[in-house]
Amino acid sequence: MNKLLRTLIPFDIAKGLSITGKHFCKVFFTANRRKVPFHIVSEYPEVVAKVQPRYRGRLTLLKDEQGEIKCVCCLACEKICPTQVITIEKGKKEGRKMPFPVRYDFEMERCIFCEFCVESCGFDSIILNHQFELATYNREDFSIGMEGLAHNMYEPSPVGKFSVADD
Amino acid sequence: MFKNEEMEINLGPQHPSTHGVLRVKLRLDGETITHCRPMIGYLHRGVEKICENQTFFQGQVWTDRMDYCSAVANNLGWAEANEKLFGITVPRRAQYIRTMLNEFNRLASHLIWLATHALDIGAMTVFLYAFREREDILDMNEAFCGSRLTTTAFRIGGLREDLPPGFEKLVKKFLAKFPTCLEEYENLLSENRIWKKRTIGVAKLSAEDAIALGVTGPVLRAAGVPYDIRKAFPYAAYAEMDFEVPTKTEADTYARYLVRMEEMRQSARIIQQCMDGMPEGPVMAKIPKILKAEVNEVYHATEAPKGELGYYLVGEKGSGNPYRFHVRAPGFINLQSLPKMAEGGLIADIVAAIGTLDIVLGEIDR
Repeated sequence: MNKLLRTLIPFDIAKGLSITGKHFCKVFFTANRRKVPFHIVSEYPEVVAKVQPRYRGRLTLLKDEQGEIKCVCCLACEKICPTQVITIEKGKKEGRKMPFPVRYDFEMERCIFCEFCVESCGFDSIILNHQFELATYNREDFSIGMEGLAHNMYEPSPVGKFSVADD
Repeated sequence: MFKNEEMEINLGPQHPSTHGVLRVKLRLDGETITHCRPMIGYLHRGVEKICENQTFFQGQVWTDRMDYCSAVANNLGWAEANEKLFGITVPRRAQYIRTMLNEFNRLASHLIWLATHALDIGAMTVFLYAFREREDILDMNEAFCGSRLTTTAFRIGGLREDLPPGFEKLVKKFLAKFPTCLEEYENLLSENRIWKKRTIGVAKLSAEDAIALGVTGPVLRAAGVPYDIRKAFPYAAYAEMDFEVPTKTEADTYARYLVRMEEMRQSARIIQQCMDGMPEGPVMAKIPKILKAEVNEVYHATEAPKGELGYYLVGEKGSGNPYRFHVRAPGFINLQSLPKMAEGGLIADIVAAIGTLDIVLGEIDR
């Protein structure tokens, strides 16, 4: 008898609908009051997702206080890179004891953002910044070097846009 | 015209319910499958050979890209296999953090299984709800190691960094809400008559067949064999954890669903225990800067979300890279049971059979 009732009356479907209905009401009645947690749906181009402090973005060369490049061409990053995307050319600069990178090329199309290069660096001269909008229209734009019009290796994370999550 | 004639069709490789690029060759008699052969190799990248040409340190990034739904579990297997090869002891705090992240990864993997399996069968709501919870886990991955999917989370000898500040808060927040979320999925599916009709008695695989084919993981446990490497050969900090290995005897798709749901509860329990008993101390053992192997071979098996994930490494004297590297991928071996499950059934049920195996083609083709 109980089984017959169960087949006649769709309890299970009502149960499922009550759950979806509950969620619908939650969003429908609170959407205008901004009570919906941020991450469930964010309107992406207007509201950019916040990233964590350890986020691994694009490779960046750092400069010290005098505006000098910190890199001393020890080639540790070039050796450890699993996909061989970094090419460094050693050179000399007047008034500087340490070797100076004449060329520091970074082929972003092959980069897998593993942060091994930053880990291997003994001079803290490179970081991965918080940039994740890396798509471009031309393949050449992925070849990033010390000189470049659109992008170069010194470009830091855009301030304010890729900010770190609060909680 | 087609009377008494068998029809051959291909399911995939670009079929949405084959979870990637799996192609299944089917021979049909009406709607009944008489012959079924999975064809693989569309995503072959030669990960094993690439790893043989890279150092032990670099090899980890390729394990991320095998089973991309459970990258942390793959990293753990790689790190532990190497530690076994070099005889490194990992600090206790690192073991606990590894265990916790591995269980989070199991939750993420099972959630994505639940989402896609339910979507294949026709329950679309669960897909969105399960991805909502998975997002929290991916956020935790991002907070710990900076990447969401291809984590490269561990290092040989321990961890790169300790847990970030505020991580405990994220874990607490997640554990507080996760049981209610699980109940939500079960309310949507467990008693649903469509779900039950599509899963009960579908794609059966008996315990004898499962053992003969080498199937591991939830598929084996749903056949009544309580084999879990976390219990049988404990690794990381699993020896100190208190958890149960859920089993069912029905050996059909519904039993596998129940086993995986119960496994998620146990995973949440393990995470809670890790948080409560987290020891203090360093997270990295002292290891030489360049790892040079001796002539030695190891096989290290871990319980990945999909089953037994084994790494076989052979070292060469004085060499910085492995002489031979082989992966025993759970998905590859579980997939071989597909003909046993599907033959004799209806063509609509093969979608449930593929979904219940929880395959990831990145791992099968490697």
